[in-house]
Amino acid sequence: MGFIELNVLNNASSNVALGIDLGTTNSLGAMWKDGRPIVLHPEGSCGYVPSALHFSEQGAVIVGREARELALVDPAHTLFSIKRFMGRGLKDVENDARSVPCPLSETANGVVQFEMRGRKYTPQELSALILMKVKDQACKALGGLEVTKVVVTVPAYFDDAQRQATRDAARIAGLDVLRIVNEPTAASLAYGLDQRKRGTVAVYDLGGGTFDVSILSIEEGVFQVLATNGDTHLGGDDFDRTLVEIARKELAALMRPSALEDRAFLQLLRLAAERCKIELSTDPEAYMHVSLPESGVQWRRKFTRHEYDALTAHLIERTLHSCRRALADAKLAPEQIDEVVLVGGSTRMPSVRSRVEKFFGRKPHCELNPDEVVALGAAVQAHVLMGGTREVLLMDVTPLSLGIETMGGAVSKIIQRNSTIPCQATEGFTTYVDGQNGIDFHVVQGERELATDCRSLGRFKLKGIPALPAGMPRVAVRFHIDANGLLTVTAKEESTGTSARIEIQPMNGLSDGEIESMLNSAYRNAREDFDARRAADLRIEIGTMARATERGLSQAGPALDRETRRDVEDALGAARRSAADARLDAVALQKHRDELERATLPLAALLMDHVAKAALSGKRLDEV
Amino acid sequence: MAVCSKCAAQLETPLACGACGSLFAPDPEPTPFECLGLTPDFDVDAAEVRRRLLRASRLVHPDFHGASGEQSRAAAERATAALNRAHALVLDPAARADWLVRSLGGPSESQVRSMPQDFLMEVMEWNEALDAARGSAPGSAARVGLEALEASLAERRASVLREVRRLLVPLPAREAPALALARAQLNALRYLANALDQLEALRLDSPSPR
Ligand SMILES: Nc1ncnc2c1ncn2[C@@H]1O[C@H](COP(=O)(O)OP(=O)(O)OP(=O)(O)O)[C@@H](O)[C@H]1O
Ligand SMILES: [Mg+2]
Repeated sequence: MGFIELNVLNNASSNVALGIDLGTTNSLGAMWKDGRPIVLHPEGSCGYVPSALHFSEQGAVIVGREARELALVDPAHTLFSIKRFMGRGLKDVENDARSVPCPLSETANGVVQFEMRGRKYTPQELSALILMKVKDQACKALGGLEVTKVVVTVPAYFDDAQRQATRDAARIAGLDVLRIVNEPTAASLAYGLDQRKRGTVAVYDLGGGTFDVSILSIEEGVFQVLATNGDTHLGGDDFDRTLVEIARKELAALMRPSALEDRAFLQLLRLAAERCKIELSTDPEAYMHVSLPESGVQWRRKFTRHEYDALTAHLIERTLHSCRRALADAKLAPEQIDEVVLVGGSTRMPSVRSRVEKFFGRKPHCELNPDEVVALGAAVQAHVLMGGTREVLLMDVTPLSLGIETMGGAVSKIIQRNSTIPCQATEGFTTYVDGQNGIDFHVVQGERELATDCRSLGRFKLKGIPALPAGMPRVAVRFHIDANGLLTVTAKEESTGTSARIEIQPMNGLSDGEIESMLNSAYRNAREDFDARRAADLRIEIGTMARATERGLSQAGPALDRETRRDVEDALGAARRSAADARLDAVALQKHRDELERATLPLAALLMDHVAKAALSGKRLDEV
Repeated sequence: MAVCSKCAAQLETPLACGACGSLFAPDPEPTPFECLGLTPDFDVDAAEVRRRLLRASRLVHPDFHGASGEQSRAAAERATAALNRAHALVLDPAARADWLVRSLGGPSESQVRSMPQDFLMEVMEWNEALDAARGSAPGSAARVGLEALEASLAERRASVLREVRRLLVPLPAREAPALALARAQLNALRYLANALDQLEALRLDSPSPR
């Protein structure tokens, strides 16, 4: 592709916005021109920028194709797959850290750092370097035009922290982020516009590091995401890793154990594994080569496609599992999907194609270049955001439920997964103590029943609440998920109209668990979760019943006979103790709750009598 | 129907004007039915609701206010969030009924906690079946029985919804006794929805024949 002539743009670069696919393996820029999106790369260069970084001895960071080539001669100073570390803490990335050839650490806020040539880099900074390279390439293709407005894509299943990290990366790169768009949604835009489609579409996007599936309905320019699911830690890298593990086992006989753990060696193995994997996409068999002249190791291993498919079948099964969940959330059966669109380099694997085809019962579309379609869609969205058209209406969803931790440690969901964004929910909070001027709450994202099993988005502190008796202040906290899928929280004290101040202690991927493993186990552990949640609910219910019983006793207690009264008091005491005993499970709690209910029946009857009499005497019920 | 404060055109939604494109931030926030320019009713025409959602979205969506400054972007975010919430609520029969009962001064779920008489026994039966299925291997008899259970719960859900409709169409007067009856049905509906969710989770957990 040669230079592109853009007369209108020569004097008005502020009218141009790029769409950038920031990929785990490859990144690419595109823009809207003459009624369609086109990818941008300078003459002589062949398209995308590999998301690789090489750290030279002189302290320079080399990005892209050159870095990828340098990895072969100096794997110890080359980094790949930075995206897998975005918005994550060290604990979240243990698996990926093994193939990183340099020491890793964590900032005070829980952001991973790579130490290269005596300097520490966060994933945000490194992604910023990749974004700048993509932008430079695009600007060159545009004849030197300077562009700063961008739309950046993220996996649909990225959570708030990962989205935030991506936006921060773009900011570090000096770019003005018009929008964060979900990759499969972007792909559907490019696909839908190109083919002038309508109907129900499944986008299956298996890239280098992430998997997404989105179910959309497309009609007359309206692209509505019905449901999305995925795994932000499942991609081509994991397919490579299965071959790496075999190589390590077989090489163990030839090498010292410490050499087997050497990070640079592991990097080399990964590159060899990827080459072998890619060959297997076209050939029925391929060799994986490892040659380490300095230690005299020469290793060659044949893999047949049949063997490789068996080794990686479980990875594909995981993607299909996500597909099943997405379909269930969209309330559709596989045969109700009109078209299946494949996106991402890993969908070139014949085994992926055939299993996806079998799953949906139809041949997937591959006429669009799976490497380019996401960037092209981002360019369409950039065009819309620049005011280019109102023909396209994109309605996306939030991939994960948003919730608040309750007193019992359970999660009270306030926004359901797959809600159309922007969306909002308002939650009322009040005080427990007279004069209390602050309220704390904990916001989490995920599908599990207990807050500790979800991803923490941060602990919020409401401050400046006017001094009032307990329960009087009414603080309305508004949770808003914007069109980028990013959360903002605001608060207002309603009885006095003062706006409460919010302090946030964000958990920038600090120590909290891996979100998708959580979601996966959410289904597996449905039972455990259900019980834990029921126990939490019962504790709350017992508390409410106990308070009501006490009130009842003080009103009508004297009218009860001694024995009944003692019975009530015993049951009340036992129920209270049970609610406070963290060791009791739902079954035991239920017993105490039921016992309290039984014991208080006479009391309830007495109270009802009171109420009935009062009602008959003409009083309103709430005056009783 | 209200008119635009800027150009006096008829408004289809209080959130924006289709004629002059102005965005509004009405306070207090309009009700879900108002957002979509509908009169509250239990019976809704899903296709009409969708048409209204799309028409209003084309006016208020932040995608179309990207270039016009922080303030109008924020207004677009809020208006669209209100619209999306309205759409979700109005199209979900349980949420819609819940809102109608509340807005007519009917009891909330903490005020009327009862359920229809025969319902509790049924709940206990499902819970037993669910518990048995959870403890047993995929493919076992307890699991296979779930399909029938799921079908019967779905049917039960439909019949509860018919009852809700009977109570709410035509809309009862404010604080009418029918509202408390509808609330009891909605309580049952919550149990049904919960059990159906759990059945779905179990079904997705077991390897599918595909
Ligand atoms: N012919 C092929 N056969 C098998 N795998 C391939 C082939 N070509 C590319 N890949 C794999 O595809 C992956 C890269 O795909 P792609 O460029 O779509 O990812 P990405 O967009 O960078 O990642 P992500 O979307 O996960 O962030 C790599 O893991 C690469 O090994
Ligand atoms: Mg990709």
